[in-house]
Amino acid sequence: MDFTRRQLLAAGGGLGASALLSACGGDGAAPAAGGSPRQGGTLRIGALGRPSAITRDPHGTQGNESDYLVIALVYDTLTAPGDKDNTVGRLASAFTPSKDLRTWRFTVAEGAAFHDGTPVTANDVVWSLRRLRGTPSGAARLPGVTADHITADGKRTVVLVSDYPNAELPLLTRLSTFVLKKGTAGKDIPEAPGTGPFKLDWYRDGNARLVRNADWHGGAVHLDAVEVTMFQSPQAMSNAMLSGQIDVASNVGAVAARTAKARRDIRIVRRPDDMAMPIVMRTSSGPFADPKVREAMKLLVDREAMVAQVLSGYGTVANDILGTGDPAYAKDIPQRKRDLARAERLLTDAGFDFSRTYQLVTTEDVAGLAESATLFASQAREAGVRIEVVKQESGAFYQKTWLKGDFYTNYWGTNDSVVFFASKTLTTGAGQNEADWSDTAFDAAYRKVMATADRAARAAALRDLQRIEHERSGYLLWGMADGIDLAAPKVHGLPKLPGYGRVQLENVWLAP
Amino acid sequence: MTETGTRPAEAAVRPVPKPAARRAGALAARAAAVLAKRVLMLVVLLALVFAAIELLPGDAATATSERGEGAAGVAARRRLLGLDRPVWERFWDWITALPTGDLGTSARGERVGDLLAAPLPNTVLLGGTAFVLTVLGALALGAWAAARPKGLVDRAVDLTSTAAFALPEFVVAVGLLLVLSLWTGWLPAATVTGADGAPATWTMLVMPVLALTVPQTGWNTRIVRGALADQAATPHVEAARLDGLTTRQVLLRHALPGAWPAIATGVATSTGMLLGGTVVVETLFNHPGIGTVLAGAVADRDTPVIAAVVACSAALITVVLLLADLVRARTLGARS
Repeated sequence: MDFTRRQLLAAGGGLGASALLSACGGDGAAPAAGGSPRQGGTLRIGALGRPSAITRDPHGTQGNESDYLVIALVYDTLTAPGDKDNTVGRLASAFTPSKDLRTWRFTVAEGAAFHDGTPVTANDVVWSLRRLRGTPSGAARLPGVTADHITADGKRTVVLVSDYPNAELPLLTRLSTFVLKKGTAGKDIPEAPGTGPFKLDWYRDGNARLVRNADWHGGAVHLDAVEVTMFQSPQAMSNAMLSGQIDVASNVGAVAARTAKARRDIRIVRRPDDMAMPIVMRTSSGPFADPKVREAMKLLVDREAMVAQVLSGYGTVANDILGTGDPAYAKDIPQRKRDLARAERLLTDAGFDFSRTYQLVTTEDVAGLAESATLFASQAREAGVRIEVVKQESGAFYQKTWLKGDFYTNYWGTNDSVVFFASKTLTTGAGQNEADWSDTAFDAAYRKVMATADRAARAAALRDLQRIEHERSGYLLWGMADGIDLAAPKVHGLPKLPGYGRVQLENVWLAP
Repeated sequence: MTETGTRPAEAAVRPVPKPAARRAGALAARAAAVLAKRVLMLVVLLALVFAAIELLPGDAATATSERGEGAAGVAARRRLLGLDRPVWERFWDWITALPTGDLGTSARGERVGDLLAAPLPNTVLLGGTAFVLTVLGALALGAWAAARPKGLVDRAVDLTSTAAFALPEFVVAVGLLLVLSLWTGWLPAATVTGADGAPATWTMLVMPVLALTVPQTGWNTRIVRGALADQAATPHVEAARLDGLTTRQVLLRHALPGAWPAIATGVATSTGMLLGGTVVVETLFNHPGIGTVLAGAVADRDTPVIAAVVACSAALITVVLLLADLVRARTLGARS
């Protein structure tokens, strides 16, 4: 591990060590060590995808990481995941809210143009956002903003009006607000010109070649070309990396990292806070409705062991607060540690039934998820709590258990915003309130965060919110999995952001 | 094995000679009858596929919707995909459109025909090469072993072919990967395609083809060897041997012709095994064929895609089985 971290430090250069550990500080655009960025070269990158799930539409449901990568290189979103701030401008150079935080004005970046040379106008953005909103999952992607509340104001300003105050609206425009030319016909979508750092050379069955957009509004792009190869399994991608067929294996996972560890010619790139795998306990009914029982569960998990065994050490211990990558994440709330005696006392106080066996439902949707349930069950056994792990197939899980069950594991891929989770999964009546939690104090703290523009007052409210979440929510968050890429030593400037931040390849350059 | 064992005996029964024209007509009628039976079987098989996917937990709507979508969103998606209609109705729509070449639409809104257009030739190339190598390898090894029954070669071939057949493609593939790529670096570990959708170099085909060929060669070697042994016991081969012909002449001119029907049936059944094996092998080597499409479609509960892949493979297998029948008919005919 130390070896890896040292390698990372060497590659990270201008970035502080803290940036590697907690994704704060540093700047994606800062020149990396190993000399100054060099122009030229072709990056061969592998990404996961299945031929049956291929989607070319930037506003479609991208089941494939490979497709999302290609789309994100060709098209720009309004905003993008950032480092110091979790949301930074991309096609929008600025975004400002009204006083009531309901109206947001996005300014199209100076010099932004489509690959055929046409400048981007506010009308193109409005058309694209409305198109996105009109897709089957549009309401989930632009929550609270209906199509008629997306309008143009002049040539370069787009106005979004939310149905409710939303301080985090720009955060929601990071992932799928890809901008196409106004009026692009359905059949032309796959080859439609974008505004991104790379232009599409060819695309075939999930694989693609892209070439540099020399006129990109975001600055100089170093690589001449990017070749994207789709891999159906992490294993095949890892093998291709080991045999030198690709330069980067994107999001290949901990197993591949373990295999590659012995190889000096392969760098393991860790992107912290990539995936949360919480255990969800139903708060409104059932055996975990008593906050004491929930706290006991949070006390009987051995977090270090979970990270070491479930994640092969490629991860960090967490503190039952979701959104660990948020710059505003409350690091000062004391880390909850294993305390079997206290857990047993709490359970006895709560009149917990030790004779029963409790079912913990899990899936094999992401690597390590089912293993986390099994290991937790064996840890709970040490405190006399009997847990039986029940594996469910993904489809059945979402139909029968998710949002309904008493006790289940789940996973989340966007972890750089505390508020994102609060709004989506923790406030009373939220659409995906997985633990069916309702807490007046938490709701009040959330409302305060959302409606406060003042930075200091907002930070205080945000800390309050996290303290309550830590104390009594239905989430047991034992740790965070790193995102893991493998890279050849010549590749510099790879993104270190969790989640979809991994697709930002414009700062990548190749050493000779 | 018992089935293939009876065929050569059947071949020895000499049919009553018929005029050539009547024989051709009878052959055509027989082929048509066999074809009709196979088409009916295919329809039943596809109905079973629809029913089986219906029995799997979850459906295409839940499998392909985004997690952000609520129950209403999933329900809307279910309506969009027509999953709210009874399964027999969906099957009827799909199967009646099939003769027009319409394979339906995938759960992600792509034309299934387009989805399979590129991977199908890749699988045919992979499976076809493996098929040819299997036939050649099995014939060579089987004949070599039969040349001297109970000899050293015969015993060695017997042992290795049994072992090879017992090895799953997965094991062979991983072994090949380790030795030929990761340790020695001789061959590329994964298939990478170029702008034309075909593997970038032919070397990428070597390991996938071998992984499919080894187990099937094991199986077919045993069939060839068995069929030749049956033939060796027939009077005309016995006579040829007693006439003092060389082993080679006896094998190739006298034993092999009679063994063809059994061998043809054996390799024909291998077609199905080869196509089944591609699912595993293609995923392991990242070969862009229909096996990988199928694996993904099953995970998505994407019935039209699964049914289309089954229909394509079944059509391929049917063609090969028909060819095997023709070989059989020709051999029997030649005897009359």
